Amino acid sequence: MRPRTGGALRNALLMTVAALLLLVWTVPILLAVVTSLKNEKEVLAYPPTLVFEPTLKNYAAVLTDATSILPNLTSSLIIALATTMLTILIAVPAAYAIARLRLPGKQPVGFYVLATQLVPPIGLIIPYFLILNRIGWMDSYQGLVVIYITFSLPFAIWLLVSYFEDIPREMEEAALLDRASRWQAFWHVVLPQARGAIAVTVIFVFLNSWNEFLFAVVLGGATVKPVTVAMYNYINTEQTQWAQLSAAALLAMLPVILLGVLAQKHIVKGLTTGAVKGVGRR
Amino acid sequence: MSKRGEVRLEGVGKTFGETRVLREVDLEIRPGEFFSLLGPSGSGKTTTLRIIAGLETATEGFVHLDGKDATLLPPGDRDVAMVFQSYALYPHMTVAQNIAFPLKMIRTPAAAIDAAVREAATRVSIEHLLQRRPGQLSGGQQQRCALARAIVRQPALFLLDEPLSNLDAKLRVETRVELKRLQRSLDVTTVYVTHDQEEAMSLSDRMAIFMDGRMVQVGTPEEVFRHPATVQVAGFLGNPPMNLMPATLAGGRASVAGLSFKAPQLASLGTREVTLGIRASALEFADEGLPGTVTLCEVLGEEIIVDLDVGGQLLRVKSLQRERIPEGTRVHARIDTARLHVFDRTSGARLEP
Repeated sequence: MRPRTGGALRNALLMTVAALLLLVWTVPILLAVVTSLKNEKEVLAYPPTLVFEPTLKNYAAVLTDATSILPNLTSSLIIALATTMLTILIAVPAAYAIARLRLPGKQPVGFYVLATQLVPPIGLIIPYFLILNRIGWMDSYQGLVVIYITFSLPFAIWLLVSYFEDIPREMEEAALLDRASRWQAFWHVVLPQARGAIAVTVIFVFLNSWNEFLFAVVLGGATVKPVTVAMYNYINTEQTQWAQLSAAALLAMLPVILLGVLAQKHIVKGLTTGAVKGVGRR
Repeated sequence: MSKRGEVRLEGVGKTFGETRVLREVDLEIRPGEFFSLLGPSGSGKTTTLRIIAGLETATEGFVHLDGKDATLLPPGDRDVAMVFQSYALYPHMTVAQNIAFPLKMIRTPAAAIDAAVREAATRVSIEHLLQRRPGQLSGGQQQRCALARAIVRQPALFLLDEPLSNLDAKLRVETRVELKRLQRSLDVTTVYVTHDQEEAMSLSDRMAIFMDGRMVQVGTPEEVFRHPATVQVAGFLGNPPMNLMPATLAGGRASVAGLSFKAPQLASLGTREVTLGIRASALEFADEGLPGTVTLCEVLGEEIIVDLDVGGQLLRVKSLQRERIPEGTRVHARIDTARLHVFDRTSGARLEP
C-alpha cells in the first residue's frame, strides 16, 4: 500500500506546483481580461473595484473607432504570414541539405547561423534603416518581411537541421531503391516525418514576427503599421487607455492562440510517430 | 532457374576519403542463386552490397547487372530491392502503404496495387496487419513487412542486409527457413549479407568470405568449410572455431607445443614452419595421442566441448558424449591426421600436400 500513497502524495505535489506555475502564467492575462471589461474610470479606481458591470464597449471602440486596430491586425497578418511562409519555404530545403549533404564548411555555416542570433537586434536598426532607405523599401511590407526573414531564417534552419538529422538515411535509401526520385523520397518519406518539427518552426516564426515591435516602429512608418505598433497609440503623454489597450492586446492574441491549437495536432503526431525499430524516434 | 539477376563485379574497390574499405573484388553471382556475403564487421561485405544496390559508387572497377554495365546507374534504375538491417519502414504509412510504395512510384494503377499488396502480404503472412503502422508491429512482423515491400514489384535482384539480426534467437531460425522457402518459390537471385556463419552456411547456394576489405574465398558452404583458403577463414568458420596451432613439419612428422606426432600425408610439404588447423570434431579422446589437461567442459546435451591444455596450447575437442569430464582430468586427444589443415605460417595461405 505504501507506494500507492506515496504516488498519490507525489501527484498532489506535482499538481500543486503545476497549478502555481499556471497561476503565474495566467494572472497577467486574467488581469487583461478583467481590465478590458471595465470602463477607463473603473480601471483607475483605487482600491480596485472587484465588482463592476462588465462592458464590451472597449472591444467595440478598438474595432470600430477611428483608431480601429482592424487595419493593423491585417497588416500584422500579412507580414507574419509572408514571413512564415517564405521562411519555411527556404528553411526546409536548406535544413535538409545541411543535414544530408557532405558539404564543405558545414560546421562554419552552422556556427554562423547561430551567431546571427547572438547579435542584439537594436544594434542592427541603423544599418537596416540605411539599407531599406537606399533601396526605397522603407514603410513597405516587403521591407519588414525581408528583415524579419533575416532573423527567422537562421533560427528556423538551425531548429530543423537537428530533426532532419534524426530521420534515418536508410529510409531515404529504401525510397531511392523503390524507384523514388530524390525529390519524391523527400516529399513522401522525409517531409511527413518532419511535420511536427515544421509545425513547431511555423509557430516560432509566426509568433516572433507577430510580436515584433522594435523594427516595425522604426522601419514601418505610416502605411505599414502592425498591431504591436498600433497598440502603442493607447499609451500617450496625457494618459494610458488601459481598458482599450487590454482589449486590443487580447484581440491581437487570438490569431496566435488559433495557430497554436491548429498546429498542436501536428506537433503531437510528429512527436509520437515511431520509426525504425530499435532507434524509436521520440 | 530465373534468367534475371546476374551480378558480376570486376575489380571493385571503394575508398572513403583516405580509408580504403574494399579492394579488388571479383565476383560472379549466377541467376537464381542464394549468395551470401559473410564476414566479421568492417570486412567490406555491406559496402559490397551497397555497391551492388547503387547506394555507394565503386571508386574502382565495374558492376555488371544482367550483362549491362551498371557501375554508375542510380539505385532506382537497377531493378533491385533491398531489406535493410533496420528494415527502414516508413513510420507514417500503414503496412499496406509501405508495401504499395514501390508500385506507387512506378505509377501502377490502384487496382493492380491493391492486388499486388495483398499477394505480397499473404506470402509473408501479414495480410491481417495491413492497416497497422510499423510502430504497432513486433520485430518479426516489421521484418516481414520489409520483405513484402521488397518482393512486391518482383525485382531481378533481392538484397538483404543482415535481415535477421534484430530478431531473437528462436525467431531467427524459424525466419531463416521461411526466407529460404520464399527465395526458392520466387526464384529470385538473392544476395545476403551476414556476420553469422551458421546463417550463411544454412541458407546459401554459394558464399563469399570477406576479411579486412578483401574477398578471400568464394564457394559452396561445404567447399569453404572443408577447404578454408586462409587461416583467417579457418578461424572464422565453424563452432567452436577451428583449433589453430603453430607447428613445425619435418620428415612426415609434425611437432606442436613440444610434442611430435606422425603425419605421413604432410611429408610432401617438406620441412617448414606452418599453422596447423584441426576442427574440434576431428579430435577424439583415446588412450594415446596428445596428452592434455581438461581446463573447461561445456555440456551441450548431446555433446560436450572440452578445452584442453596441451603443453600450454589451447585445444578444443568436441565429443559425442553426455557426461561431463571434470576439470583437471588428464586425457589424450587423438588427431584425425586426414582432416588436418595446413597453412603457411607467414602468409596464412592454405597449403595442399
